[in-house]
Amino acid sequence: MSNPVEPRTPNQGMAPDLPALPPRLAEMKRRIRAGEHHVLRTTETIDVLSECEAEQLTWPQRVARLTRRMCEAQEVVIDPDERIAFTRTVRRVPPIYSDAAMRELLAGRTVHELGPINNICADWGMVLGQGLLARRDTALATRERMAGDPAAVQFLDGALETLDAVLALARRYAERARACARPDLADLLERVPAHPAATFHQALQALRLCHAVLWMSGHYHCGLGRFDQYLWPYLRADLAAGRLTEADAEALLAEFFIALNKDSDLYPGIQQGDNGQSLMLGGRRRDGSDGVNPLTAMVLRVACAVALIDPKINLRVDRDTSLELLATAVQLTRLGLGFPQWCNDEVIIPGLLGAGYQLEDARDYSVAACWEFIIPGRGMEVVNIGAVSMPSAVDQAIRAALANGEPFARILDRVAADLTAQVTVLAEANRRLLLPPAPYYSVLMDGCLESGRDLSQGLAYNNSGIHGAASSSAADALAAVQTLVYETHQFTPARLLAALDSNFADDAPLRQALRESAPKVGNHDDRADAWLAQLFELFADACHAAGSNGRGGRFRPGSGSAMYYVWLARGHDGMCEPAIGATADGRRQGDFFSSSLAPSPDTAVRGPISVLQSFAKINYRRICNGGPLTMELADSLFHGAEAVEKVALFIRAFILSGCQQLQLNTLNVDTLRDAQRHPELHRNLVVRVWGWSGYFCELDAAYQNQIIGRHVYGS
Amino acid sequence: MTGSKTGVIFDIRELTIHDGPGLRTTVFLKGCPLGCAWCHNPEGMTRTPQVLHNPNGDRLAGREYRSAELANLLNRQAPLLREGGVSFSGGEPLLQAAFLAEVIDQLDGVHVVLGTSGFAPEAEFRSVVSRCDLVLFDLKLIDPVAHRRWTGVDNGPIHRNLALLAATAIPYIIRVPLVPGVTDTDANLRAMARLVRALPRTPRVELLPYNRAAGGKYAACGLTWQPGFDETTPWKADLAPFHELSLEVSIL
Repeated sequence: MSNPVEPRTPNQGMAPDLPALPPRLAEMKRRIRAGEHHVLRTTETIDVLSECEAEQLTWPQRVARLTRRMCEAQEVVIDPDERIAFTRTVRRVPPIYSDAAMRELLAGRTVHELGPINNICADWGMVLGQGLLARRDTALATRERMAGDPAAVQFLDGALETLDAVLALARRYAERARACARPDLADLLERVPAHPAATFHQALQALRLCHAVLWMSGHYHCGLGRFDQYLWPYLRADLAAGRLTEADAEALLAEFFIALNKDSDLYPGIQQGDNGQSLMLGGRRRDGSDGVNPLTAMVLRVACAVALIDPKINLRVDRDTSLELLATAVQLTRLGLGFPQWCNDEVIIPGLLGAGYQLEDARDYSVAACWEFIIPGRGMEVVNIGAVSMPSAVDQAIRAALANGEPFARILDRVAADLTAQVTVLAEANRRLLLPPAPYYSVLMDGCLESGRDLSQGLAYNNSGIHGAASSSAADALAAVQTLVYETHQFTPARLLAALDSNFADDAPLRQALRESAPKVGNHDDRADAWLAQLFELFADACHAAGSNGRGGRFRPGSGSAMYYVWLARGHDGMCEPAIGATADGRRQGDFFSSSLAPSPDTAVRGPISVLQSFAKINYRRICNGGPLTMELADSLFHGAEAVEKVALFIRAFILSGCQQLQLNTLNVDTLRDAQRHPELHRNLVVRVWGWSGYFCELDAAYQNQIIGRHVYGS
Repeated sequence: MTGSKTGVIFDIRELTIHDGPGLRTTVFLKGCPLGCAWCHNPEGMTRTPQVLHNPNGDRLAGREYRSAELANLLNRQAPLLREGGVSFSGGEPLLQAAFLAEVIDQLDGVHVVLGTSGFAPEAEFRSVVSRCDLVLFDLKLIDPVAHRRWTGVDNGPIHRNLALLAATAIPYIIRVPLVPGVTDTDANLRAMARLVRALPRTPRVELLPYNRAAGGKYAACGLTWQPGFDETTPWKADLAPFHELSLEVSIL
């Protein structure tokens, strides 16, 4: 009979109901993608270091001075087409210490990644609601109250310097707008960010400027937090008062989103696009009520129309989330931008409670750059201090146990010890972590100006995140050894060890058996899934045993991989995690691991339901640093009228399954291969890489190939 | 013993789009008495497992399952298929009617859809459809001569089983593959619309556009793709014959 006659769809299936950008915004998007605004950027790097040295400024003073000089160096750009102003013209963030002085400053300590505070999220609702003048008043009041505390005074003086710098920049913009016969922009920038935003337009303008100054200050992975929660009150008031139509609001939102893409090329990241401009939608309010509002769906619709890599969109869901909202979000999935990423409140909120978060804060979570859960304004978490290589722990254990003729149970003991050792290395380095002062970021946080303490001194939550990477390959290796060596005795330990050492060069039958005869994670098969769950238990035990991180927090275990699916497989300069050869799951040396949580590449997997069921076996009450179950859908799956609803129902199944976080990516492998051959034809092709989306042709070949090698469902 | 019958399955796919309402897992039973010229699943034609020779390696299509084993596999998914269910397709699932009935009897409250050509002995047809929640009933060609030419079998039993189904209370939908120049002709669609119109409990009609990817699998099965029609002809979906008789019709 004729099962799935795959339809060709000449007249349907290609998102007929998606909004299109109005011409003004379509042109703005084109210009930004073409980089036409790059000519406005100055080429010279401003010199802040000299005055820092001449005045012998302290570290906090230098960071504040950097923000001020960067703001001052900005040329004012009034674009006739823009209704939300700001174009960055200073290309580079200059140093505030010489290399030698920096080394001295850090003697015996470590910094996280590049140094400046990153991968956290401001309390944007507070900033928009108060305005910077009120923040200034708070700083002054605290300064008076704490006049006898030199450290507090120094911090607050720095914060005031940055506040004044941003206010001055806004004033210069307002003056120029007035001179350019743009009274609309002039009015806007005289009002915000100085005063509380009173309208949706003002709120977006204030956010645009305050957010951009974070990047200019050297911060990166600057999150946007619970976007629909803090902006909806402004939009609701505008709509109710008849000041704004829905179409106007969508146009403003689209312009804001397009503007977030102006400076992607200036942002630091492992790969182009890895910039952490993530926002969260939906979910529970702090009081536990449903936070979904009309702006939630509007953001999803506008993101479809904008179709750029920023902002990266996350959606919180639970079993009460309407099918209609899920379907609206799936329209975005269908575009292939790699978002939204879905966060299951039913699993994450209890997980955060278990990790010591207050209930109201747990309900208020957002994500850092990629997937790690943080509380906007209240978290100075360092969510990704590194990864443990689960395949390495398992590989070392298997080799040692087989060589010594030990029973299978001994392998697990060895894995536990290895994971503990890997966590210990990361934890010890992390306890030496020195967080640089961040006066401007502190202005945007809950309580820093009030307490006279820089955020680097700690906020309400100060945990450190460690990811357990490449777990499925590790679990598959355990399952293969258990089945084929210890149970059926199909292969001797010596034969397996020899095959691993030779990268299976002389033993193809063994490799084939490891690949095809052993149970694999992703098929709802307990023989493999039990090891997946067990590995995360051991990892959680190791993080728990590591104790305090020395900053008033603990080590939070997660399930993300970030770039480790390439790095752990092949090694990388400066990486302290162990690299690895061939592994007992039949993986050859150098073959990539899967991204975050996903079946190992090139294994037989029944389909997405079984994958959900396999990964639901992880105890996410203990593994709560984020890291999504990652699945790729063939774009052909979306042909046909019913597909969007089916995928929305699949999201429901994800919620019910008890999995924590889901990354669904729509792609076409043939298109990706063609883009490798003819990049000039695919400049705008977007893919999800790990916790972020980027332009496929701008990725290194390793990352391109890893994506091409993923499981694709529905093809 | 219950659960002891065996059947041959050539694929189990999850999140299938065209096999019934909601979130579904579809089981493809191997073997088909028809030989449709446009068949998209040539690996489902023969009853026994076979090795497919693909350019990137061999793959075994078809595995024997005991009914209890298959039912257990599906029951383990059932908690996530509450807004959907399980579909049986093929091949022609009724070629393994006794096995299939035994599988369905062991399912725990799962919504069951049968996709069938309707070509089966009456008793076996009755036995399976009576266990289903929805039947997707294929109609291809109304003219008996054309039907025999393009599918290799007589459509008399198909029409008799359709009448049987229509006389039950089991929900059913008519499925029509649109094959260029073969099934999508005006004469065929009009005859089909008349036949459907005459059925009790007038069913909905769903048209499945032709997909040119059909031929790719034939070489892997050791077969030659000779469709006998011009598959480059754009498919057309003329809904008028159905609309004129006030039938509910859609294109999948």
